[in-house]
Amino acid sequence: MPSATHGDFELSDPTTNSQSRALSQFLAGVELKAFKIAQAALRQEDDALDAVQDAMLQLARAYADRPPAEWKPLFYRILENRIRDMQRRRTVRGRVISWLPFRGDEDEDEADPIAQAPSEEPQPLRRLEIAEAMGALERALEGLPRRQQQVFMLRTLEGLDVAQTATAMGCSQGSVKTHYFRALQSLRAQLGEFWT
Amino acid sequence: MSPMGPMQEIPDEFERRARILLEEGVSRIDGRIRSRLNQARHAALAQASVRRSVFWRYFTFMPAAGAVAGAVLVAVLLWPHSPASQLPLPESARPTVEDMDLLADGEALDLVSDETDSGAFYEWAVDQTDTGETHT
Repeated sequence: MPSATHGDFELSDPTTNSQSRALSQFLAGVELKAFKIAQAALRQEDDALDAVQDAMLQLARAYADRPPAEWKPLFYRILENRIRDMQRRRTVRGRVISWLPFRGDEDEDEADPIAQAPSEEPQPLRRLEIAEAMGALERALEGLPRRQQQVFMLRTLEGLDVAQTATAMGCSQGSVKTHYFRALQSLRAQLGEFWT
Repeated sequence: MSPMGPMQEIPDEFERRARILLEEGVSRIDGRIRSRLNQARHAALAQASVRRSVFWRYFTFMPAAGAVAGAVLVAVLLWPHSPASQLPLPESARPTVEDMDLLADGEALDLVSDETDSGAFYEWAVDQTDTGETHT
């Protein structure tokens, strides 16, 4: 039985502390990749940050007591739901704005600059090549259908296996394989000449 | 185009290269984003901590609440079958009980309200109460 004091209490349950530590390590390990995945889908830094933050909060609020092995697919499932909600909201907002007679350009979705200029690097040419390749890949990813983009990012960047990806996407493993295969086909068709 | 099919699990050169580039993109995420992600993580952990605290607080109250609820349940279940309720009434309590029966009897009340027979009824009732015998 864990010791606990009531009122302004601080719990000293060793299981709780180790779970908190594990959750902290997990979130620290996925947050950057999760941000890139959200950014690829939403194309705006602030929206991507909001999506990742919401996913973190939701995981901590609802699933922190689950076994740590379940956290990754759950986290990405939450993140994908959040991304989809934001995309829907954007679509609705876009429709509303398109009906307004005097609309400014400030609310339009604008893609962030993809390449981030490196500085003080020892191999500027190599860095430039990588930046160009990254830019080409990210543009190609942006052109993919959402599900293909999603499965490609989860499998390639996050390294989820087919079963975990299926859990994260809420679909069957067969569907994951099909989306992934089509994503690879499409990316190869677009980047083949760039990468050969 | 590569002949890779949907069942293939081993990444080919294209996938390896894509992964390297995507990871490079992750490593280039700037400090502002990293700082905000760090803040978000701490907020999430704080929320998880509060949630656990509330859970354990209620959890520690559970045995006491369960004991009280169990005692109430046992009392409710045993009350109608209590041996005390089946004990014979003491002699002194009998007349009171009979009075109560009398008052609860609708026909007796009719007799009381009937002006012609009210005197005879009272006499009969008093006899019943005092002697426990029947006088006709």
